[in-house]
Amino acid sequence: MNPAFPRPARTLMVLAGALLLVPVSLLSQTTSSSSSSTSERWLHVRVVNTDNHGETVRVNVPLEMAEKVLPAIDKDRLHKGKVRIEQKEIEGVDLKALLDAVRSSKDGEYVTVQGSDNDVRVAKQNGFMLVHVTEKHTPTKNGKPVEKSRVEVKVPMKVVDALFSAGKDELDLVAALHALSANGDTELVSVKSEDSTVHVWLDSKNVSD
Amino acid sequence: MILAKLALGTATTLVFATVYTFREGTIRVDVDEHHDGGAHVHVWAPAAVAPMVLRFVPDDKLREATDHAHEYAPLVKVLAKELRRYPNTTFVEVQDSEEHVRIRTVGRKLQVDVQGADAEVHVAVPLSTINDLVEQIAERTPAS
Repeated sequence: MNPAFPRPARTLMVLAGALLLVPVSLLSQTTSSSSSSTSERWLHVRVVNTDNHGETVRVNVPLEMAEKVLPAIDKDRLHKGKVRIEQKEIEGVDLKALLDAVRSSKDGEYVTVQGSDNDVRVAKQNGFMLVHVTEKHTPTKNGKPVEKSRVEVKVPMKVVDALFSAGKDELDLVAALHALSANGDTELVSVKSEDSTVHVWLDSKNVSD
Repeated sequence: MILAKLALGTATTLVFATVYTFREGTIRVDVDEHHDGGAHVHVWAPAAVAPMVLRFVPDDKLREATDHAHEYAPLVKVLAKELRRYPNTTFVEVQDSEEHVRIRTVGRKLQVDVQGADAEVHVAVPLSTINDLVEQIAERTPAS
């Protein structure tokens, strides 16, 4: 074999070839990456519409990310991760006093309303605040109302506390998210209506089922 | 020997140029319209070029296009930084009988995929590029 280049030249060319491969390997490194930590808490939202289009919406948000992103939003009433409540909206109700009363009370049912259109139940149970609302159709021919929609909300009391920790006229969303991250897998909101279902839950998976 | 030195010089220059150009990855845009005469656009450009190109956009044109840049710049910067911690994750997915939309991270890129009956659009942008672009836009547009 009679090489076109002497040995040192070949060595240099091999070196040059190797150098050319460096960017390729760098690029491949940027695309391979590790998955998120298993201890991470994720908030999931799933909305399923059962109409003609059968739309399904899935949102997966890591709580830690939400905690950092929320303070960066400064829009309307949301400022530094807190939402300002207008006094006229709560119509003179002292939310903090109301919350203190609920916190210091024993487990039990606080509000039960059974009407022709709605059933409402607000309770405190095992460290959770529970709100159940059932909307009903007007009575059918046989006189029995038919369930139109059912909303079930289950929020840890610590999250409620954190939410109202900012002050009288503010809801601290970041503090609430932080408190939420200390909880185990929890179904927070469930809505079932004639044409859609909504689920909001917390777990440690980065995908929704 | 001269040829070898020349090859090494050229290769080294190429290496540095390639590393510099591709260090941020690539921006990829694919558009395919599924009908007769439909457009098929496939752009694959080094991400490092985007901030450079932005420098050539006149201030007034940039201002028109990015009216509320200052308002959203802090949010986008934090989001781009945080998203890097969650590679290969689907954050939003919407699917119905006609369309499938996904917003996700693929490695260190933010990728938006829209698959519809009429068209398919895929856009992938490195998160670091989003950060660079937002910083540059915020610097060049006066706060309102």
